[in-house]
Amino acid sequence: MEWLEIFDISLFRSLIRSATPIALIGFGAAMCSAAGVLNIGLEGKMLNAAFVGVAASYYSGSALTGFIWGVSAGVITAILFGVLSFNLGADEVLAGLAINIFALALTRYLLETLFKRRGFFSDPSIQGIDPIEFEFLKDTPFEKILSGYTPSVYLVFLLAFLLYLVYYKTRLGTAIRATGENPEAAKDAGINTLRMKWLVVIFSGVLAGIGGTFLSLENMTLFTEGMSAGKGYIGLVASSFGNNTPLGVFGASLFFGLGDAIGIRLQGVYELDSRLILMIPYALTVIVLILIGIRQRLRVRPVPINED
Amino acid sequence: MDKFSFKDVLILIAGVIITLGIAWVILTVTGFIPGEIAKLFYEGAVVGQRNIVNTLNIATPYILTSIATVISFRVGMFNIGINGSMYVGGLYAAWAGYKFTNLGHISHVSLALAISIICGSLWMLLPALLKVYAGVSEIISTIILNFVAVLFVSYMANGPFRADPIAPATPRILETAELKQYFPNSQFNTGFFIAVTVAFFTYFILKKTTFGYELRSGGDGLVGSYPSRYSSYLGIPTDRSAITGMLISGGLGGLAGGIEILGNARYFYQELAFNQGFDGILIAIVGKLEPLGGLIASLFWSALKNGGLFVDYKTDVSREIVVILLSILIFFVSAQKLVSALEKFSFVRKLDSIFSRRIK
Amino acid sequence: MVKTQKEIAIELKGITKTYPGVVANDNVDFKVYKGEIHALVGENGAGKSTLVKILYGIEQPDSGDIYVEGTNVKINKVEKAIELGIGMVHQEFHLVPSFTAAENIGLGDEPKTKSGFIDWEKLNQDVSEIANKYGLDLDPTLKMIDASVGTQQRTEILKTLYRNANILILDEPTAVLTPQETDELFEVIRSLVNEGKTVIFITHKLREVMEISDRVTVMRDGKVQGVTETKQTSPAELAKLMVGREVFLKVDKTDSDPKDVVLELKNLWVHDSRGLIAIKNFNMEVKRGEIVGIAGVDGNGQTELVEALAGLRSTSKGEIIFENKNIEKLSPRKRRRLGLAHIPEDRASTGLNLRLDIWENLIGTSYFRKPLSISGIISMKNIVKHSKDLKERYDIRTPGVFIKVQSLSGGNQQKVVIARELSEDPTLTIASQPTRGVDIGNIEAIHKKLVEIRDDGKAVLLISAELDEVMSVADRVAVIYEGEIVAWVNPREVNQEQMGLYMAGIKD
Repeated sequence: MEWLEIFDISLFRSLIRSATPIALIGFGAAMCSAAGVLNIGLEGKMLNAAFVGVAASYYSGSALTGFIWGVSAGVITAILFGVLSFNLGADEVLAGLAINIFALALTRYLLETLFKRRGFFSDPSIQGIDPIEFEFLKDTPFEKILSGYTPSVYLVFLLAFLLYLVYYKTRLGTAIRATGENPEAAKDAGINTLRMKWLVVIFSGVLAGIGGTFLSLENMTLFTEGMSAGKGYIGLVASSFGNNTPLGVFGASLFFGLGDAIGIRLQGVYELDSRLILMIPYALTVIVLILIGIRQRLRVRPVPINED
Repeated sequence: MDKFSFKDVLILIAGVIITLGIAWVILTVTGFIPGEIAKLFYEGAVVGQRNIVNTLNIATPYILTSIATVISFRVGMFNIGINGSMYVGGLYAAWAGYKFTNLGHISHVSLALAISIICGSLWMLLPALLKVYAGVSEIISTIILNFVAVLFVSYMANGPFRADPIAPATPRILETAELKQYFPNSQFNTGFFIAVTVAFFTYFILKKTTFGYELRSGGDGLVGSYPSRYSSYLGIPTDRSAITGMLISGGLGGLAGGIEILGNARYFYQELAFNQGFDGILIAIVGKLEPLGGLIASLFWSALKNGGLFVDYKTDVSREIVVILLSILIFFVSAQKLVSALEKFSFVRKLDSIFSRRIK
Repeated sequence: MVKTQKEIAIELKGITKTYPGVVANDNVDFKVYKGEIHALVGENGAGKSTLVKILYGIEQPDSGDIYVEGTNVKINKVEKAIELGIGMVHQEFHLVPSFTAAENIGLGDEPKTKSGFIDWEKLNQDVSEIANKYGLDLDPTLKMIDASVGTQQRTEILKTLYRNANILILDEPTAVLTPQETDELFEVIRSLVNEGKTVIFITHKLREVMEISDRVTVMRDGKVQGVTETKQTSPAELAKLMVGREVFLKVDKTDSDPKDVVLELKNLWVHDSRGLIAIKNFNMEVKRGEIVGIAGVDGNGQTELVEALAGLRSTSKGEIIFENKNIEKLSPRKRRRLGLAHIPEDRASTGLNLRLDIWENLIGTSYFRKPLSISGIISMKNIVKHSKDLKERYDIRTPGVFIKVQSLSGGNQQKVVIARELSEDPTLTIASQPTRGVDIGNIEAIHKKLVEIRDDGKAVLLISAELDEVMSVADRVAVIYEGEIVAWVNPREVNQEQMGLYMAGIKD
């Protein structure tokens, strides 16, 4: 079985890189879903962040400035979403959809107007964020696996762990979960459900921002039209697959990342078309959703009739 | 969605004014003269045979996808997957276009379009069944299918349906499958008339048939509200309505894709990208989930897009400004609380009741 | 030995609260002593819920004072009530399904470790301690989705105790319990009181009042009708205070002349949405030319019974025979075609589609018939004629039939529902709470209509929580309690005391 040969270090690294933006979005989406907010607009936040990140880096010559501005763009877009959904009473899904369309158009517009380019913008002046090499891992077998990734990748691992702690071991975590599952119970306990919702929206905006700058400043240093390429939506799918839990999302992102990475490797080489392989994560998500749905239905058990 | 009322007109006007204001600001700041741009815009949208006809051509898929959205939202299903249906329908229209030889013009076109409708429709079958029988959110399942659709058609265009080893595309469709283009300077084709017919037909069905009545009662006027207690109580089989609605909307999405291929592109290639499915959702909302509203909003939408293209061609202003402005308008229109806040003004309430009496 | 004077736990003086169109509480005085189990009793709409909502800070009174342990307080939000030591267990539980009992109990107030994380061990421990102290058998690690209703209720009670409630309000706690769970609950209440807590127990079940309470306050129509020590009263007396009127409003009608049986229920059992038994061992006959009434406080299975008859809920056992055909398995549409009509208790969500026009709602059951539609095409001309006709006949006050139903008054909306249902000339009409939220003038009209169709040889099954209505409109009445018929009465002959007893579940 020759195709097993592709499972090497390079594939692993590619997997990690593909999984990172998905995970970042996924964590945000999962938190939002946990609080009862269906946040489809993460795609738009990511895209805005990616563009602003590149622009800021270009103008300032500093990767850090680019990063900060990029993430801020994500947050501002998130605030827009929050205002539309919570303050102005728009339907969350529609608002998210509109924001995605808005972001795509806005970034294209700015690309043309500011940089006079179409399609993509790449320039040596754009400062990217460099990978981190761990000194202590040099010349060890772990070097190739663990060292040399850009910061966001390590962030993802950190977040998986942190979010797990927050989710299950802090008051904040339980407050968020209660808000999503039964707002009445949360309100009874004195939890401000509106504040919780804003919190998760902003948080997902930050993560989407980081995801965006990852794409445009870490993974590569350029901005391409529609760069997010659906990763915002995939993140949402990943959070469904992982049943909206931090570890579930983490696992799902790795899974999607794997599909992505294999796809890239297999391109045109073997018979099994990469696209078919890419479909597998989606098919599995659907199956997971079905199982969850069926489980809900089986919950109600009727009291047995005994005539006495 | 509440029926069209005076409040909606107010919000629309307010939205348009504010959007125009923002446009004025953006243009001025980037060094253009808003007045000139506006003139060019208008010219590009509706002045001259070529422009008008192009506007109508652009409108074709929007009309179909917005009507598709109207139908599925009306039965209570929040269907975001119409774009996926477009891809699948388009692909198979291309296939039918080159596969069947020895057919007369009308039969070939009809067959190809019929196939695109069926394929688009089947694409919606799974989400419909999942929702009705397993309670799976149709929002998520249709989003997933959008991705799968892109992957699938890309695979097919690259693989089994591939024309020649070099270009990742299907063979060009036979002449007999083409939708006739009327003008040498535009891709405007018969598809437009088909779309408009569909719009009126849908209007007729919803308003004047028992089938349409059943569909309408099911949604309770709220988006994503399946299942409806009212319909079940009346004895209307809501399961059936919901699934039927989804299938029809998928079919229309497929038709949109099919027309794009048979009328415009004439073959299916890997980079072909549709996004009218998503825009259709927003257009349907602006049109208040009414078929004729969707028709008018689609024409409006495409006029703006075409105007934007013209301006883009003639000046340095990017065409994307149109979409930006349109999405800002959508933000306005979807802000329900603004609409209900208007209720506080008595003059609004009075005009409202006069308005609704006027509409029969 | 000095006799310890009874201290007052809470006192409400002169509480008045009005909502648009109804006085929920009319100058109500309510006093509860420390350490007692005080029952607050009354029919639906008597004002009990409003009163406790005011006490718990969910609502504010228009006027009146609240004293907690002698101090005059303003309870303007729930947090304040909790601070004052008042806890409430609602009828519908506010629990997070995927959380454990302990997680639900501690929500918002969980103990923390030094590093700032939740100390789950301590929480579980604390919860166990409190549970044992009050004799509540509870596993803190049990998830609420897997818990029985009794356990869920105990969790709700523990929620209040965890927050140091001294005064517990239990709102119709036995509504969702089996008899055995009810006994267990009473054990818990007794042990709470032993530990110095005060319990306010809202119920309409007089048997329970007699069993568990020390004192009783009876409310009716927003006013307090009587306060007494349980030892010094009897179910009969309480029933009289609860139901109260000397004379039932009379509807002008001749005697009924029932003919053959149209509907027969044989040994019917129906489960509710939670899986509990809502209707058990139900047997009944309804004949042509009569109005059969089902009286009883809301929540004793009437909703499920009607849903089962209409085809909106499946039956678990037994038969429904309509015009000599078994219809248990038939769809709502088929039942309607056989001649069964249904006026639902909730017109807003079930009976009408508020966003549609009047005509669209009027044709809901007949749109597929000629002449309203021919081979699938709607004939607007005939529909408009039909709708205008119905508007006249049923006196629906509206400028036209193209107006959204939403803009009609409650009474007129109900008339739309009734017009639609009766326009099919049904053999049997099931009318469920037909005049709920309807003004007096229209109530009369609706009652008249029901009698009219009875005189026309049709059958009517009237289910209502309004005792007046059932007693004056129906020819014979069955009293329902916890899913069973406890008695058949003749409305002309039975007295109020007897009715009250039956409605409270006390059979002969």
